[in-house]
Amino acid sequence: MITGVPLATYAIFPALKDNPGSWIDFGSVENLELDNFNMLSYEFMVKDGWIILPQRGFVWARADAEKQIKIFSSTCTHLACNVIWQEETQEFICPCHSGRFNAQGMPVAGPPSRPLSVLEHKVTDGNLLVFMKV
Amino acid sequence: MNDMRVETRSQKIIELLSLGESRDRLLAFEVPKDALTWTRFCGSLLLVLLILLFFSGIFMAFYYSPVPGTAYDSVDFALFKIPFGSVVKGIHHYSWNLLLMVMGIHLGRSLILGSYKAPRQMVWVTGVIILFFVPLFIITGDLLPWDQTGYWSTQVRLSIISSVPFIGKSAARFLLGGSLTGVVALTRFYIFHILLLPGFLVLFLAMHFHFIRHRGLSEPLGTDPVFRPRIPFYPNLVNRWLFLFIIVSVVLAIISRHWTPPLGDPADPTDSSYIPKPEWWVLFLNQLVSVFKGGLAVLGSTLIPAGLAGLLIGLPFMDRSPYRHPAGRWKILLSAAILSGFIIGLSIMGYLEHFVLVKH
Repeated sequence: MITGVPLATYAIFPALKDNPGSWIDFGSVENLELDNFNMLSYEFMVKDGWIILPQRGFVWARADAEKQIKIFSSTCTHLACNVIWQEETQEFICPCHSGRFNAQGMPVAGPPSRPLSVLEHKVTDGNLLVFMKV
Repeated sequence: MNDMRVETRSQKIIELLSLGESRDRLLAFEVPKDALTWTRFCGSLLLVLLILLFFSGIFMAFYYSPVPGTAYDSVDFALFKIPFGSVVKGIHHYSWNLLLMVMGIHLGRSLILGSYKAPRQMVWVTGVIILFFVPLFIITGDLLPWDQTGYWSTQVRLSIISSVPFIGKSAARFLLGGSLTGVVALTRFYIFHILLLPGFLVLFLAMHFHFIRHRGLSEPLGTDPVFRPRIPFYPNLVNRWLFLFIIVSVVLAIISRHWTPPLGDPADPTDSSYIPKPEWWVLFLNQLVSVFKGGLAVLGSTLIPAGLAGLLIGLPFMDRSPYRHPAGRWKILLSAAILSGFIIGLSIMGYLEHFVLVKH
C-alpha cells in the first residue's frame, strides 16, 4: 500500500486531467460556401505534458441560406479515421472501413453505428468560433 | 604446453569468480538427443530472433529521441545517415515479422503433437503468454518512428481498445497518459517498449525455460521413452545455437541491406488522404471488428478475441487425456483446424478489403 499507491498515482496522474477545450476562430462566416460542406483546417496550441504543441486537424462546416450552421467533427465514430465529404453522392465516407454517413451525420453504411459528433459553435463579430476539445 | 597454460588461466578466472560449481553443473547438464532434430528447430530459431531483437533494439536506441518533433528525424537519421543503419533497423523489423510466423509454427507443432499435455502444461501456458506479449511490443513499437503508418495505426488501435466495455477508455487513457497522442504518449510507449515489456518478457522466458528444464522436452512420438539417448547441453546444443545465430544474423542483414525496412512520411494528423492499412498479423482481428456492428461490436473487439485467448491458454487443462498421437485426437485437432480456418478466412477477407478491393 505504502509504495503501490504513490507509484500508481505517479503513473496515472496525467491521464486523469482533462483538457478544458477552447474556442477556435475559423474566420469569417461569409467565407463558407453555402449549402455544401467546407473543410476547415485548424491549428491551435495544446499543452501536452511539459511542452506546448500545435494540434492540427479539420472539421466539416455547412451553412445554409438562412445562415444556419452545422459543424461536424471529421473523426469517424468507428475507428477514428478522418471522414471525407463526397459532393457527388452527398455522403461522408471513411476510407478506412468504407463507413458512410449522410449529410445529417447519420451512419448509413459500413461499420459505424453512432452519428458523427456535432461540435458546438457560435458566431461572434461575423467570425465562426468552434469549441474544440482534444 | 600452450594448451595447458590456457587451461590454467581460465581455471584461475573461474575460481576468482567462484564459478566452479556452475561450470560443473553446466558440463554435466544433458538434454535428449532429439533436441537437435529439425522438427525442434523453431524453438531455437525463436531464441535467436529474440536475442537479435534485443541487440538491434539497443543499437537503435542510440539514435532515438522520443519527442514528436524529433522522433521521425532521429529514426530517419539512424536509417539513412549512419553506416549499417538499414541493417540494424532491418534486423529488428524482419526479426519480429519472422518471430511472429515462427511462433505460430512452434505453437502449431505443440498442438498437433500434443506436447502441451501433462506434465508440460506450464510450458504451454508460459509459451502462450509470451505469444501475447508480441502484439503489445508491436503496438508500442509502431508509434516510435512517428511516421504516418505508426501514427494512424495507433489511432485505430486506441479506438479499438477504447471500445472494450468498462475498462477500455481508462486503459487507452492510461496508455497515452491523457487524451492526446503526443509527447507524454510517445514517452510512455517508448518506456513500455524498451523497459517494462522486455522485463516481463524475460521473466516469462525464464519461466518457459524453467518448466522445459524440469519437465523435459516432449518425447518424440512412437519412440521408447525409456531408451532416449542424451547429449551434453554444452557444447553440442550451445554450438548449434551459435551457428544458427550467425546464419540468421547474416541472412537478415543481407535482406535488410537489399530491402530497406519501411519508414513512411512523417506523421500528419491533418492528412485526410492517408489510409492506414492493417498489418498482416492483425488482419483477422481488424476484420472481426468490422464484421460486428452496432450493439454486437463488443463481440468482435472483446469477447471473441478474449475467448480465443482463453481457449488457447486453457487447452492443456481442457484436453486432459494422456494420448498424444494426432490420429487419436481428431476432435481437438479438427476444432483447432476449424478455428484456424476461420482466422485465415477472416485474414483473407481483410486482405481483399484493404489491399485488393480498395475503392476511391
